[in-house]
Amino acid sequence: MPKCYRSEAHVIDYVYGELDPNMLPDFENHLTTCNQCTRKVFAYKHVLNLVDEAEEEFIPQPIAPYDLETKLYKRLAEVPPEKSSFYTQLLNNFDKVLLVFKEQKIASICTFAFAVIAIAFFVGNPFRPTPTYDVTPNTAADERIEQYRQQGIQRSLEDILRNKHLRYSDGWDTVSQLNRVKDQAKGTDWANVANKQLKRVQQTSDL
Amino acid sequence: MDKLIDDELLVAQFKSGSQKAFDDLMKRYEQKIFGYLLRSVRNYEDAEELTLEVFFKAYRALNKWEPKAKFSTWLYTIASNLAIDYHRSKSRQPIYMYEDEEVIETRLVANDISSNPEKNIEDKERGHLIRKAVDELSSKQKAVFMLSRYEGLQIKEVAETLGMAEGTVKIHLHRAIKKLQTLLRPLWENNEI
Repeated sequence: MPKCYRSEAHVIDYVYGELDPNMLPDFENHLTTCNQCTRKVFAYKHVLNLVDEAEEEFIPQPIAPYDLETKLYKRLAEVPPEKSSFYTQLLNNFDKVLLVFKEQKIASICTFAFAVIAIAFFVGNPFRPTPTYDVTPNTAADERIEQYRQQGIQRSLEDILRNKHLRYSDGWDTVSQLNRVKDQAKGTDWANVANKQLKRVQQTSDL
Repeated sequence: MDKLIDDELLVAQFKSGSQKAFDDLMKRYEQKIFGYLLRSVRNYEDAEELTLEVFFKAYRALNKWEPKAKFSTWLYTIASNLAIDYHRSKSRQPIYMYEDEEVIETRLVANDISSNPEKNIEDKERGHLIRKAVDELSSKQKAVFMLSRYEGLQIKEVAETLGMAEGTVKIHLHRAIKKLQTLLRPLWENNEI
């Protein structure tokens, strides 16, 4: 006997009454010639009949639970109603607000305009614009660096003179330190100061 | 169609504060929901408890419910979810309440005066075996099978109830029927049923 390649799903659909009505005449025609499908149809119908009988035997007639109504209201009285969460409330109220906006367009436009002005007034401060500065950040930084450099030179000179006075440093040491500072301070007024101090040291120590 | 409108009307009445409307809805569906849950869990007390839970949840959520589908579909959705949760929570196989079945069997025998006791025992045993085979189905297969076969829901409605695509429902249904055939075939071949 040649094997039938009809889908088993078609057989089940046919038995279950779910086969596409367009396919039904063709399938019923097929059943008149195909023993395999006919046997399958018979087998599935038999299985379903058996299950139907067993289920009918289990619940022979419709039954309802005893006194469901009383039990339900008793339970509803025992359990407090669910409180909706903060977010749910927020969402519900938001929906209501949106509904008002949809229904009353002029009111919504006015409210929106008022909200924009209020935000601009309190947050943006449009009537007092922030002042702009002419000094570019790069120039200010360079000036600050030069200032720090000159302060450094000043501190070095002061240290040299303090050491000379307090520790009675020898002439060689002080001269070499002053020469180093003089090189650092080239191009500034501190170079003249360093030079003057250098000459004074050289005179006093006869170097 | 009339019933759909009626359900919607009752829901609307409940939303406007009528408790009686909910009572009417409950009376309309308590047998169906209880029958469905009893077939699903095979335990009278648990089915009763789950039916109560279905209507409890429905009562609490009905104010927010919008009639996108039938009210009955929504109830079956709640019931199916509870039945699936029930099966998940029970790691063991469903226990048959023989007492319940005996009550039903006794009623059947009492009604049939000319009944044959031997045949009744055989029928009872056969019924147990077949229902055990049905309980071997996965929770989704069983839900699809029960809703379509015994609750009179169409494939589309089953899909809505269980939140599945229609194709998926059909796949579950095909697998359920094939599995039933496989499980029941040995008994059939041995002429036990």
